[in-house]
Amino acid sequence: MFTLTEDLTKAFLSDLGLPVPKGAAFDKSSEAVRYAATLSSGAVVKALIPTGRRGKAGAVVLTDTPEEVKAVADRLLGSEVHGFAVEKIFIENKVEICREFYLSFSLDSFPGQILLSSSGGVDIEAAHARDSESVIRDDIDPIQGVTKKQASFLWQKAGVTGDELAEVISATTSLYDAFVKADAVLMEINPLALCSDGAVSIVGAMLAIDENGLPRHADWAEIADGSLIASWRKFNARELSVSEANRKIKGGAVRYTELDGDIALLVGGGGAGLLQHDMMLAIGGRPANHTDTNPGAGIEEKFKVTIRAIFDNPNVKCLLVSFNHQQLTHCARKAQPLAEILRERNVNTQEFPIIVRLVGPGEEEAKEILDDFPGLTYLPFDASLDDAVRTVVDIRNAMKDSK
Amino acid sequence: MSILIDENTRVLAQGLTGAQGTRDAEFCLRYGTKIVCGVTPGKGGVEVHNLPVYGGVKEACQQHQVDASVVYAPPLSTKEAVIEALEAGLKLIVALAEFVPRHDTAVIAAAARENGAVVIGCNTNGIISPGKSKLGAIGGDDPSEVFAPGRIGVVSRSGGMSAELSLAVKRGGLGVSTCISMGGDVIPGNPMVDYIRRFVADPDTDAIVMFGEPGTNAEHEVAAYLRTKACTKPLIALLAGEFQENYPKGVSFGHVAAMINDVEDTVSAKRKMLSAAGAIVVNSLGEIPLKIREQLGS
Repeated sequence: MFTLTEDLTKAFLSDLGLPVPKGAAFDKSSEAVRYAATLSSGAVVKALIPTGRRGKAGAVVLTDTPEEVKAVADRLLGSEVHGFAVEKIFIENKVEICREFYLSFSLDSFPGQILLSSSGGVDIEAAHARDSESVIRDDIDPIQGVTKKQASFLWQKAGVTGDELAEVISATTSLYDAFVKADAVLMEINPLALCSDGAVSIVGAMLAIDENGLPRHADWAEIADGSLIASWRKFNARELSVSEANRKIKGGAVRYTELDGDIALLVGGGGAGLLQHDMMLAIGGRPANHTDTNPGAGIEEKFKVTIRAIFDNPNVKCLLVSFNHQQLTHCARKAQPLAEILRERNVNTQEFPIIVRLVGPGEEEAKEILDDFPGLTYLPFDASLDDAVRTVVDIRNAMKDSK
Repeated sequence: MSILIDENTRVLAQGLTGAQGTRDAEFCLRYGTKIVCGVTPGKGGVEVHNLPVYGGVKEACQQHQVDASVVYAPPLSTKEAVIEALEAGLKLIVALAEFVPRHDTAVIAAAARENGAVVIGCNTNGIISPGKSKLGAIGGDDPSEVFAPGRIGVVSRSGGMSAELSLAVKRGGLGVSTCISMGGDVIPGNPMVDYIRRFVADPDTDAIVMFGEPGTNAEHEVAAYLRTKACTKPLIALLAGEFQENYPKGVSFGHVAAMINDVEDTVSAKRKMLSAAGAIVVNSLGEIPLKIREQLGS
């Protein structure tokens, strides 16, 4: 999943004929000021970052004069908001708002959900905490979509009537069509504004996109690359090298996140990686990183980059290479890149413990490849994932004891 | 017996002429799977492994008696292929492709329910009833290395973990009635609890093993089912991913729905919930056969 910035979200909605305020993105405050002067009713200046809750962080400011635009633009550009560097700002025409609604569609699980409220413009979670009745929720049938009838029923339940009702019903069904067309997993419109002329305007809009839908949206590929790596902290150089390899080499995928322990993990698939990480913590081992892997054509090259990152991490004292039974993938496809990097880095495998649990097709060949490295432990076929974790933690503990 | 497939299941392969379809089908045929024909749009009339290939599923079903379809279509064509099989009246479909867009998987899940059908996948390596039949890449070219025939039902989203659970069962001297990799996508064709219900109804399954993870509501549905007391067989649950709770969360977009549904998506919460509902929650693979034997008194 990746989040579109506001400029791309609004351009997408506008191309579908939906009413969004006039706006554009800039990386220079002088250009932003020039553009703001062309707007009819004053400018809203916003930090262009792929996340919500910008208002609270002072990153959405209503302005009246060019001086104000310049001051806000200068302050935001180059600053950091919610951990994101602000490289661009979004300048938008101010809208005369009469009434603010909240509307979102999400597809976190089956079936998707529609969530709406007649008290928009505020943090919806806070609104729900204050008065849970004010937030209306319903299932979405993926085959029918959100129908006019359903939208009408829900908005009436939220207390909307008359001309306003007709406007929001029509906006709701059109926005749902856009949600599907975008391959979005979340669309949040807050506020969905009613203007003084009675028309609807999409003032706040956020779209989070399913990366599996990317082949249908080639123009979003670049932003997807950038935001897929966004997590709870910035990546270090080693993590970035893996993330870049993921992006540049086609086929397969590796995720690599460093932690504060000393046992490096090259583990997979997804489930087996989670299980081994949990088990390691349970018996007192401390992982130096987590990895998650998806097989595919480019996986050998990606493994090499990941193994280099592991050996570049100064905290690493030993390595566990352990995967679930390969079933269809040849074991040598994992053993070969490991052997290559061990040679490239001249790793002394007598001193640096490496435990390998790699079973399935090509196991004998993989063993032969790794036979060249004295001291490396290739566990026998009947060793389970449990055994692999226990072995590496025992070895790490023995290293500590011998000091 | 077993659930969903056995030695008599007649299988159609959608996408048999592609590289993956041709290779997988060869392994399946060797294992004993009764693949009767293939379908590839625009390629009707050719033969693969001496099996006839048709241009459409309806046409194939007029020529052959078919019970199930395995779909080798690429991600962006998978929805269309699954719907075609459902419209031809098939009640079991295995959709293998990874990277199917989530909106497509939602339509597939809704269509499966509408048609009273089971769709295993998307993003799966398939289903196996050891010694009888398998659909998909599950077990590779030598399934007997991992899957022994027996009376334990296995279900997991992860194809790798369905193999490891089955291997743990085998090492404990037991075997598997049917093992289902239900698909690793956020929205599977059928929910995990459907498969557990089928295992409970199967006279030749004595106990069930499931694998749980963060990021799905599968465990909540299973717990709700257990609380109805309808599950008359031991359910062993191995869950992984608790370590993620040690690290700060990023901005969570699932948050709004989670807030409204009051659902806590952490592995430790799921462990507690399943355990309270009557599942036997284990922390390692090695415990699985021990707990099964303890429960069955064998």
